[in-house]
Amino acid sequence: MKHHIKHRITRRQSLTLIGATLAAVTLPTASLLANTGGMQQKTFAGTGKTLPIIGMGTWRTFNVGNDPELLDARTEVVKAFFEHGGGLIDSSPMYGSAPDVMGYALQQLGTPESLFSAEKVWSPAGGSAREQVAELEDRWQVEQFDLVQVHNLTDWREHLAALQEMKAEGTISHVGITTSHGRRHSEIEQIMTSEDIDFVQLTYNITHREAENRLLPLAEERGIGVIANRPYDGGSLIKNLKRRNAPLPEWAEAECGCTTWADFLLKFIVSHPAITCAIPATTQVEHMRENMRAGHAPMPSPDARQRMAATIESL
Amino acid sequence: MNAWTSYQLQDFIPFTAEVYFRLLERMGETFWPLHLLTLALGAATLVLALTQRTRIACLLPAPFWAFVAVAFFFQRYAALNWAGGYVGDAFIVQAVLLVVMALTGWGMDNAPRATNPPVAIGIAITLFGLIIMPLMAPLSGGPWFQAEVYGIHADPTAVTTLGLVLIMLRGFALWIAAIIPALWLVVSGLTLQVLDSSGAVVLFAVLAIALVGLVWKSIASKR
Repeated sequence: MKHHIKHRITRRQSLTLIGATLAAVTLPTASLLANTGGMQQKTFAGTGKTLPIIGMGTWRTFNVGNDPELLDARTEVVKAFFEHGGGLIDSSPMYGSAPDVMGYALQQLGTPESLFSAEKVWSPAGGSAREQVAELEDRWQVEQFDLVQVHNLTDWREHLAALQEMKAEGTISHVGITTSHGRRHSEIEQIMTSEDIDFVQLTYNITHREAENRLLPLAEERGIGVIANRPYDGGSLIKNLKRRNAPLPEWAEAECGCTTWADFLLKFIVSHPAITCAIPATTQVEHMRENMRAGHAPMPSPDARQRMAATIESL
Repeated sequence: MNAWTSYQLQDFIPFTAEVYFRLLERMGETFWPLHLLTLALGAATLVLALTQRTRIACLLPAPFWAFVAVAFFFQRYAALNWAGGYVGDAFIVQAVLLVVMALTGWGMDNAPRATNPPVAIGIAITLFGLIIMPLMAPLSGGPWFQAEVYGIHADPTAVTTLGLVLIMLRGFALWIAAIIPALWLVVSGLTLQVLDSSGAVVLFAVLAIALVGLVWKSIASKR
């Protein structure tokens, strides 16, 4: 992670890294969770590095243009994210002004050591992958991205080749591909099999579990990190649960520490052994805090995950 | 899963309702009291269109289309939506079209009568765009600066112009001049629908009524 503010590895991070590396070597994948004083972390992409299991998305929520009032409001959301142990923030040139808003927030807050900046290249944004990455670095006001992904597989062969070159040169740290809404999974599978990628981003939530069939096992097998987008299915899962006024099952708190539906939905996702982190998006500081609490232990067991899915199906 | 059928309307709207309505509000704050001038000129345009001075009436909305293109789409909306620049281009095209029609006199209806049903529909739509639309946001609990005004904001500019062209144009020119305002109302209506705003219904209703007026005037002129 090379940003314009120098990075020092703290004692806690060193211990986390050593602990996680040992865990990666000695334990099965399901136990790659490391509890670092609240927010749990997972190793990713066979690197031994760790990421907090709750990240942050910016689709729609961070596209506020140059509105000073909303820029400050989103800065508060980012502040809460980092205060609660956040790491990965994901954006895209397709998200309007979201990269500029991230730049504004980081300028106001400073660039925390824990930031894992994830961006995308996207053909309609114009320019080569290199040009897009350079422009996005300016907009975020960072020296280098930790991860650059090919957005929705647009011209993925050209973009991925360019990103691989940039990774080899050391101008970006990791490469990945993205999809959403369950689109083009067979193509994603081919790329995961044939290309050397560090991350795949896809839709995985309690009602969209297609990725469990092939992509998640393949990611585990190939040591590819998985970022789960649309954890609340674009907000509709939470909205529907609120509309139904459905109470949380009593066992959810005792077994996996769920006190809200947000906890319930997010813990289901991040407790899958192949998932590195989920990236819920929000405009509200309170919702951000709620999201971040879901990254704390305890996590649901495989049995509890089955009951969680059955609970949602029964509603 | 088929990639195309999996897309929903909301996948194409990259901002929230809060951001969009703040954008409208900021337009109001930034350009006040220009609203008074645009409304006065809008009213004057209606009078000119009804008093057989149709070429000057056709010219007057053009600078407002160019202004909305630059101040709303290029300078603000395009920061939220990559497609905003293209919409801004379309608004510039509409401005040029109105100027060309005014200069050449192409398609002018030089004797519009208020008793003629399509013209009456045009008058009603114009008055709706000039008077009712600015009141909608404040009456539904929004701040005054969120009031959408002809010549400042895109929706009332499109609605009012649609009404005006129904009054002052006829034949093929009428349809040509109506295309961009109508398409914007479709885009804006769909946007408001995704944002859960009741304004969507209003825009679709205006569009449907305007379409009736367009068809009516075309059929009547062929008799």
